[in-house]
Amino acid sequence: MRRTCVFFISLLLFFHSVSARAQDTIEFPLKIRIGMDVAGPAISYYNRDRLSLEGVLSLDRNEKMAYVLEGGYLKFNYSQYNYDYRTEGVFMRAGVNFNLLKPETSTGKYWAGVGLRYGLSLFSTEVPFFRKENYWGTYNSSLPGRTSAGHFIEVSPGVRTELFKNLSIGWSVRLRLLISGGGGRDLRPIHFPGFGNSGKITNAGINYYIVWEIPFKTKKVIRIPETEEEEEEETPVEGLPGNEVPQNAFPY
Amino acid sequence: MKKSYRPILLLLFAAFEILIISCAPEACLEETESLVKASLYDNTTKRLRSPDSLTLYGLNHETVKLYDRSRGVQPVLFPLDLSSDNCTFVIKIDSVIDTITFRYTSKPRLVSKECGYTFYFNLTDTPFYTRNAIDRIYTANRKITTYNEENLRIFY
Repeated sequence: MRRTCVFFISLLLFFHSVSARAQDTIEFPLKIRIGMDVAGPAISYYNRDRLSLEGVLSLDRNEKMAYVLEGGYLKFNYSQYNYDYRTEGVFMRAGVNFNLLKPETSTGKYWAGVGLRYGLSLFSTEVPFFRKENYWGTYNSSLPGRTSAGHFIEVSPGVRTELFKNLSIGWSVRLRLLISGGGGRDLRPIHFPGFGNSGKITNAGINYYIVWEIPFKTKKVIRIPETEEEEEEETPVEGLPGNEVPQNAFPY
Repeated sequence: MKKSYRPILLLLFAAFEILIISCAPEACLEETESLVKASLYDNTTKRLRSPDSLTLYGLNHETVKLYDRSRGVQPVLFPLDLSSDNCTFVIKIDSVIDTITFRYTSKPRLVSKECGYTFYFNLTDTPFYTRNAIDRIYTANRKITTYNEENLRIFY
């Protein structure tokens, strides 16, 4: 419920503050952005079995595209009736963000678009306990800790808006596709840093970022005027049925 | 709202829907036990044939039977002992008793996050068996997994 509220608040902020400006060229500020994810620590506050810290660094290439480097740390414990699982490690994601807004709408303050990432994760996993029952009885065992590397790709649509000068907030949904989770076919990890639940080949997550922006260059962008759609007004046309005025309508 | 925002909004809402769906908890629906699957064949005709009566239990576990005078059993499923590298079963086919001993190695395997871990086995030898009702046992596949694959053929 809280996530849903955050989603709609940031969406309203974004669309409320956007306004088109009529000009031929606009000054578009290119920025370096340094941000941190606040969704991870917020979830960690309520779920003590999960500690997630994540940051982002991005550099605008032009008004449409930015290079992005993300990194983070995850410590995750999971338990259910027949096993315990622990993982801890670091990850990085590298890629680009594409801004789907027009420069005159974006003005360097608003972003709505999609990101593409390649993710690499280095982590250790351990199964301190698992239990298996069958005809012969109950058998308890464990799997010792080991280090693995996971790879994945990610598509991340999202929005961002300037809250104060050079300070933005935004969120993005992360749609991930697993390339390799390490551990081979038998003992693939259940959950690993940067990807999340790797029991499935696809996974989704969400990040909510607070971003500090540093303008480093201004680029002049030529604005291509948009051809406005003419709204057809319904005006009565003389001579058409239904528009005829009866001869005795005004008898006096 | 401007038309140009509509694709962005659609993209965001679609992604948000996927997020909500992916967060939904799931149940364990996969097969979690690796069993030796043995088909029963008529030694004369060499065709599949279920015995009129089949009883199966682990040696020294006669109080808990896997099959108790069951009819139409096909295939017979043998659960291996996880705490040992061998186990013996007593099998009674049409009131004639035999024993079958399996020797194997085991290795853990993740089934899924929802189901947890299981063991896969590898038969190290052809099963040892007595030849009262059983004439011959043919090993079709030494790897004992959760998949529905034939491992043995018991000719009787």
